[in-house]
Amino acid sequence: MAMVAVPATADNLPVPASDKAPLVLPSGVPLPGPVPGRPRRGTSTIGTLLFVTADAMVLGAVVAVYLAIKEGSPTWPPSDVEVGTYIPTMITITAVMSAFSVQWGIYSARRNDGRNAAMALVLTLFFGLAMANLEWLSFVRSGFGFNDHTYGTLYDVLIGFHLLHLLGAILAVLMLAFRTVAGHFSGDRHDALRAGAVYWQYTNIVWFVVVTVLFILSRHG
Amino acid sequence: MTDTEVEEGPHPGATAPSQPVAALPDAWPKGTDHKYVGSLFVVAALVFLVAGVVLAFVMRAQLATPEAEIVGDRTYRQLFTMHGTFSVFLFLLPVWLGLGSAIVPLQIGAARLAFPRLHAMSFWVFLMGGAMVTAAPAVSDVFHGWALSDPIPVMLGLPGQGPDLLLLGLVLVCMAAVLVVVNIVVTILQLRAPGLTLRRVPVFSWSIMVSGAVLLLALPVLIGAFGLLFVDRHYGASLFSGFTGSRGGSPLVWPRLFWFGAYPVLWALLIPALGVASEIVTTFTGRRLFSRDRASAALVGIGVLSFAGWGSEVTNLNPGARPLFIVGALAVLAPVALLILNWLATLRLAAKEGNREALRRDFRSTPMLWVLGLLPVLGLGLAASVVSAVDAGRDAHTNYWQVGQQHALFFGAATIGAVAALTFWGPKLWGRRLSDSLGKLEVLAVVGGTLLTVVGMLLLGLQDMGVHTSTFDSDEEWALGNLMVSAGAAIVGLGLIVLLLDLAGSVLARRGKPAGADPWGGQTLEWATPSPPPPHNFDALPEIRSDTPLLDLRVAQSLPAQSQPAQADSDRDLLSEGAS
Repeated sequence: MAMVAVPATADNLPVPASDKAPLVLPSGVPLPGPVPGRPRRGTSTIGTLLFVTADAMVLGAVVAVYLAIKEGSPTWPPSDVEVGTYIPTMITITAVMSAFSVQWGIYSARRNDGRNAAMALVLTLFFGLAMANLEWLSFVRSGFGFNDHTYGTLYDVLIGFHLLHLLGAILAVLMLAFRTVAGHFSGDRHDALRAGAVYWQYTNIVWFVVVTVLFILSRHG
Repeated sequence: MTDTEVEEGPHPGATAPSQPVAALPDAWPKGTDHKYVGSLFVVAALVFLVAGVVLAFVMRAQLATPEAEIVGDRTYRQLFTMHGTFSVFLFLLPVWLGLGSAIVPLQIGAARLAFPRLHAMSFWVFLMGGAMVTAAPAVSDVFHGWALSDPIPVMLGLPGQGPDLLLLGLVLVCMAAVLVVVNIVVTILQLRAPGLTLRRVPVFSWSIMVSGAVLLLALPVLIGAFGLLFVDRHYGASLFSGFTGSRGGSPLVWPRLFWFGAYPVLWALLIPALGVASEIVTTFTGRRLFSRDRASAALVGIGVLSFAGWGSEVTNLNPGARPLFIVGALAVLAPVALLILNWLATLRLAAKEGNREALRRDFRSTPMLWVLGLLPVLGLGLAASVVSAVDAGRDAHTNYWQVGQQHALFFGAATIGAVAALTFWGPKLWGRRLSDSLGKLEVLAVVGGTLLTVVGMLLLGLQDMGVHTSTFDSDEEWALGNLMVSAGAAIVGLGLIVLLLDLAGSVLARRGKPAGADPWGGQTLEWATPSPPPPHNFDALPEIRSDTPLLDLRVAQSLPAQSQPAQADSDRDLLSEGAS
């Protein structure tokens, strides 16, 4: 599949007019100096990194509330709750696989290999949909309601937090897959792809935090 | 991120020098221009400021005399909640986001923000959130206090949809703010002009970046908190009430969660005011800031230490943790004091080495007067904060001392800083200067009124009047303090009305002196382009070899060589003078 760069758009920033008369400041001082440059590479990736940092603080607030309420409860989880490990384990394995498949996409794009990049993104999409499906199953099969006790509420909020992010990541990767097939990316220009991969890996980190908090940290009572 | 396709154009080498800059089409429609959207944020903030001040007037009318019956206790508490929410989330937050996004790209020589369309979207999301917050009390009773925690928000305590609307509105406002902050910080990291290293970022942009970093970490905590409180109320989850036995939950969690986010946010809203003051002091003394590196470090110090003192606002603290929060709440004051010393040293050096006539003239410029007015308010706020810190979690946080301290630092100093920024950069944004004579009146009214109000509040704090007091008996000793607060508020309101008329006259009626490119003899890049700037901001930039490229140009023109080293020498002289 050919990798074709998109044509220049009007939002490409001005470049120096080196063959023109010297530029002049409003104060009348002539200047040989440069004019503003175009954004450096990696702007979208850095933006995504900052955004997921903020997002991680939202997760941090929820986890802090979970831990505080857990410490204050005589039994945790409530005695009638049966915590399964099958579904979370399957989701975790799928998350690890998707972490590799998304990196495969970046690796291929860097090597200008559009066919493999597209395949990797489609594979990632499948993993993502599988995880979303399993999470929905974990709501249905949990055996308790959202409102039965604070454990139920926090369980649903934590897994729902990951599910929401996963759905966002699936949409982003779907868009990036279309753009890869359309040849928007090349070996040295695939910043959007990298930003999408950062977001995908962040949703995986969210899942690992959720699994640690809900299923690994010790219970009591 | 939504604007990624900007990145995917052909390689820079491919389009090399081609078109003359001036002939470029307007790259973005006006709706995404950072100066336009930033101004929209500022306008929205001013509208909410007026709303918050009107609420304050009703409250102060109620409390001006003993046993007044203008509003009942229930209404008073709603006014109190909305006044706090408006002032913090719908005035101070957007006013800094707006000024930051309008000015920062100009200061760092960028043509635009990193994600212009995201910026426009953030504004409309913010406005929707603001409208929801405003509508909430009309739907049904809202929480008591802006910490939304008095009483502990049990679902049955406040029936109706009003609180839900308030919470969702605040979530939208905070999300919009996070997106703007990401946008500005990425712009500073990625779009600086050639030669403008991170150490050469002008001090206002630096303060916005520090404040942005704090907001980036603290606002999401509030988003999570508001979201969980919404779940708690709307779906009856009882996470924060803990009164329902087997269902679990704990009433201790909410105040801790809220203040962990809100305490740094308050400091983050003061930090840009300190940046503005530094910028104005350097401009009107016509010299570089004394020890710029230490000023940058002090700003970062405020940002880092702002996370250390949140526990001082929580009333039922663990006795073992209390000393830590006392130290934390005190530690954050030290870098603020250091920064003030930097300003004073700059003023002193300018007087020593400069032309006293020019200095005296420049000191009568309105932005400088605002900064001179900022100093006593900030000083009073810092002094009150020392007492608050030492009394962490006790009376000084449940009576009017708390109100006085927060109004000195955050309403007083932060708001005065924002107004100073408007008078300083406003001419850049709309091309006209504000009235100088009205400016003096505004400074006098706002600063004098704020000082009177804050002193009255602190007096009431000493007399132990509770924060939520809505009326008092005539035999109480509180009459004098309350009269001072109400009178001060009225004077501040008068000053703000004059300010708004002044702004309207300058922006809408186009009155006032045309600003020209550089009305103040500025030192940073925003003054190297016409006022108002063209959509692409700059046709040309000077060579950048320091954080004050325009000052360098001016010095190079008047005194070939030599002047910069001389300034560095006098910086050293002052240091050794202090040491000996």
